[in-house]
Amino acid sequence: MALFAALASIIFGAMAKDTTRERLIYGLKVFAEFMVIGLVLSWILYFIP
Amino acid sequence: MQVEATPGTAWLTGLAAWFIPGLGHVLLKRWVRAVLMGGAVWVCFFVGLGMGGHLFDLSASEGSWIILQIPPMIANIGTGALYIVSWIADYGFADDPVRAARATYEYGNTFLLIAGLLNYLNMLDAFDIAAGRKP
Repeated sequence: MALFAALASIIFGAMAKDTTRERLIYGLKVFAEFMVIGLVLSWILYFIP
Repeated sequence: MQVEATPGTAWLTGLAAWFIPGLGHVLLKRWVRAVLMGGAVWVCFFVGLGMGGHLFDLSASEGSWIILQIPPMIANIGTGALYIVSWIADYGFADDPVRAARATYEYGNTFLLIAGLLNYLNMLDAFDIAAGRKP
């Protein structure tokens, strides 16, 4: 999941925004969102039989 | 409103970006983008294959409809030459129960699908840069 999030956020980050700093911040934000949402969904599904 | 014509080189750059992930940005001399964006697609594809993922074509497996193969096939085709070479070599297309039984099989499928979809984004990015719509 972390590898998937990293690869996808590299491309999203590289495509978006105008400056390198903005791209880096956006890429990190997307990565964090992938990870947090993935973990939250995993725990929700864990409790659903 | 005046509409500017898209230069032919932009279409060729987009095609190159689709065919070899990263090539579009190489042609535009956007080296960092080529390595990051193209590299991400290559890594995603080979990790997917390494996990035992399955590539889709129009040959339906037993009990499934061909029409259901089309959306994932479109996603897989996004990897361009990687898909074509795998198809010619017939690697990754077989419905192999041993591969399907691997714990990483579905992860591999997802990586292969996403590799193609991410490369479509690469292609659009290279096209936009070549067309002068993006700095």
